[in-house]
Amino acid sequence: MNILVILRMIPDSAGELQLAEDGRSIDREWLDFQLNDFDDHALEEAILLKEAGGAKVTAVAVGEGANRVLQMAAARGADEVVALQSEEDAMISSREIAASIAAMARAKSADLVLCGVQSSEDVFGQLAPYVGALLDWPHVSGTNRIVANGAVLRVTQERGAGVAVTYELATPAVLGVQTASKAPRYVSGSKLREASKTPIGRAMPESSGFERSAEIITLRLPVQGGSGENLGGNAETVADRLVTILAAKGLARN
Amino acid sequence: MASTLPLWILVITAFALTAWRSRRYAVALANAPAAARFDRPMLRLQGVMVAIGMHRKMLRKPLSGVLHAIIFISFFVLLTATIDAFGSRLFPGFSLAPIGGETWIAALQDIFSVLMLVGVGLALYQRYVLRPARFDGSSGSDAAIIYVLIVLIVASLLLEAAARIVGGADGSWRPVASALAGLLDRAGMSAHAGEELFYWVHVGAILAFLVYIPGSKHRHMFLAAPNIYFRSLEPRGLAPAVPEAREAPGIDSLGQFDWKQQLDLLSCTECGRCQAVCPAHAAGLPLSPKLLITDLRDALAAGPSAAPLVGGVISEETLWACTTCRACMEACPVEIEHLPKIIDMRRHLVDEGRVSPGLQEALSNLTRLGNSMGKPSKMRARWTRELGFPVKDAREEPVDVLWFVGDYASYDPRVQEITRKVAELLTAAGVDFGILFDAERNSGNDVRRAGEEGLFETLAQSNIDEIKACSFNRIMTTDPHSLNALKNDYQHFGAAFEVLHYTALLAELIAAGKLDLHVADGARVTYHDPCYLGRYNGGFDAPRELIRAAGYTLHDMPRCRENSFCCGAGGGRIWQGDDGVTERPSENRIREALSLGDVAYFVVACPKDKVMYTAAIDALGVADRLKVVDIAELLVPRTSQALEMPTVETT
Repeated sequence: MNILVILRMIPDSAGELQLAEDGRSIDREWLDFQLNDFDDHALEEAILLKEAGGAKVTAVAVGEGANRVLQMAAARGADEVVALQSEEDAMISSREIAASIAAMARAKSADLVLCGVQSSEDVFGQLAPYVGALLDWPHVSGTNRIVANGAVLRVTQERGAGVAVTYELATPAVLGVQTASKAPRYVSGSKLREASKTPIGRAMPESSGFERSAEIITLRLPVQGGSGENLGGNAETVADRLVTILAAKGLARN
Repeated sequence: MASTLPLWILVITAFALTAWRSRRYAVALANAPAAARFDRPMLRLQGVMVAIGMHRKMLRKPLSGVLHAIIFISFFVLLTATIDAFGSRLFPGFSLAPIGGETWIAALQDIFSVLMLVGVGLALYQRYVLRPARFDGSSGSDAAIIYVLIVLIVASLLLEAAARIVGGADGSWRPVASALAGLLDRAGMSAHAGEELFYWVHVGAILAFLVYIPGSKHRHMFLAAPNIYFRSLEPRGLAPAVPEAREAPGIDSLGQFDWKQQLDLLSCTECGRCQAVCPAHAAGLPLSPKLLITDLRDALAAGPSAAPLVGGVISEETLWACTTCRACMEACPVEIEHLPKIIDMRRHLVDEGRVSPGLQEALSNLTRLGNSMGKPSKMRARWTRELGFPVKDAREEPVDVLWFVGDYASYDPRVQEITRKVAELLTAAGVDFGILFDAERNSGNDVRRAGEEGLFETLAQSNIDEIKACSFNRIMTTDPHSLNALKNDYQHFGAAFEVLHYTALLAELIAAGKLDLHVADGARVTYHDPCYLGRYNGGFDAPRELIRAAGYTLHDMPRCRENSFCCGAGGGRIWQGDDGVTERPSENRIREALSLGDVAYFVVACPKDKVMYTAAIDALGVADRLKVVDIAELLVPRTSQALEMPTVETT
């Protein structure tokens, strides 16, 4: 089985987000980028499938810092790693990259395309459905367990309230991974250093082929409400202050 | 003499049995990987003299030290009796008489026989009456058998001499044996039969002892001296490098330990001094440095088995419990190296990806961002913003002192305040200093000790490259852990920097009269020696000088300086959970400080200590009785507002 797994680099949310001058994007120049967490799970699931039944895993990374993440993917067990060129300093749009990924899936004779169910730049989780549609392959998103039996996949999908649904589908398929069957493994520094010698392939983006349907006109950072009050660290003064506030709001008698 | 042949047979048999019982160890040591421990013979010999001749570490526990010294000296004196007993019958005609075997040597033997019994008596008193907790887990039967054999050897020696006196020998040099002779005489034993009986009991017990030793902690009679001789002479803060011959970074079978690491196992006396000082053991975690060694030793003795070393002979929980505080190695009288073993086995776990979620997160953050908190590097120097003056970028302009700030001092809001205090003190003293801003990475000290050698190399190399690109004279660190890495571990990369802790630099500035400080009125404070400043790097005095210079009176806790008790954060423990901890080491330590009864400040000199002990004081609910202050907070330039001392109820 040939598995193609998509790794998207997203802005580190621990960093300070600032708007770009046009007010329609975030200023990416001073940001650190990290692997989208769901994509990390997709990679783990791909490696677990490889370990369970044998597969060739090709990892494709998009965005700033792709090389570093691809070395990590190689250290974890990816057989081939490819950096997909993308527009610099721009968010990774699922609409934009779907065609490139579909083309790579065909080129690599992929049986299975895995990506994270969503990312902070794709909260609708559109990548898997787009790629599935372009390839005309079946697609399931929100998976938390994938078992391969030859060309037949059993895919468990999480629903609310602890309900889990299991699908059976034939490859080729596109899956959006919510969590891998096991938490992503730790890969040691010495393995990373070994993997730093792995050759990284390059892939040029394909034209998306989509007409733009809507565009961002404004982006807003969360505004400090100013309604919080720090009550300090001393339990007694905190309690006093709390009682006063509650009383002032008519929620308690002083 | 008729007994020559039987004695020869007995002796040869005993030696053969001893060799047979030692064969596994001999084979294991012969096949073990090499260790470079043959350099500087005079220095090594000197260490042996101090350790054994002076009983330096032994005497830290006075009763044990004294009783061991008594037994030890008596052993050498009585060795003359052993030589006499075997020599005289193996080689007919041999006698010590020409050099005083029947006069002054006889008198010494007589007296030291009694002393030996006194020593054993004290040992019995300690082991069976006082019963120190450090003996928990040591083999009781082994100790008992040894006591019985020693008593048998000494008693038979005295009684044999007594029987000879009964038979008409001169007893004037043997007062004790003469007294016993009176008893024997009254018991009506024939002098010749008695002499023969006690002789054979004596040599029999000695040979039994010899045969018994290979399977007993009494191996230390032969191995303690070599083990001390071959001790590590590297700086204490240098973690062992991964040997080039080793394929993976870690160790997952006993045979991969080099011969010195294996010799350590055989030298253990089960005295438990390591266990008594271990913070993980005190916290209820499944680590006793003593049992770590004896479990490894027993596995070595048992020979190859199916059970894995890591996760089998030694559990993962045991390995992760260690704070790498080095108290065990400091306490060990025979210089056993616990930490290199733990680190090597951790390296195996890390290489296999077998790490706890907390550790995985910290290591992943360190890989990605160079700090364990997962904060962007751009925010590393954020603390400088609230200073009233700019801090030089050491990458841009030359500085006298390159300040390696460290993760906690840079990022942790509880510590940033202190970092700024240090910056203000340096400025007040006119020090030309700069920092690396976002180019600084975690020093890798604890990463390395958590077993993540590859990541350590990456972090170290990155820091070394940045530091080497700067122009500076000396490096100062806030964190003792960074101090240790930069000063010691970075030597592996050929980097030899002059590195000092901020307490050392500040002490230097005060001594040079460059800091004019408010002087307090002698209020009593206590001070916690950080493991990586004190035990690892000998930085005991500078912090104490600073406390004195600031006008405070130091009231040391019982466990201070080399015997300081770890806060529990080191070696990557700070990134792990508290599962299984019955009493946090930090809380144990705060209780110790409270028991002093007259200190209001718990003075620290390590950013992690500020975090650990503030949390411990909150958890114990004693914030009104004790306050954690960094040593930099005690030092207030006269140009600033003096520190207000909280009142303390003296108990």
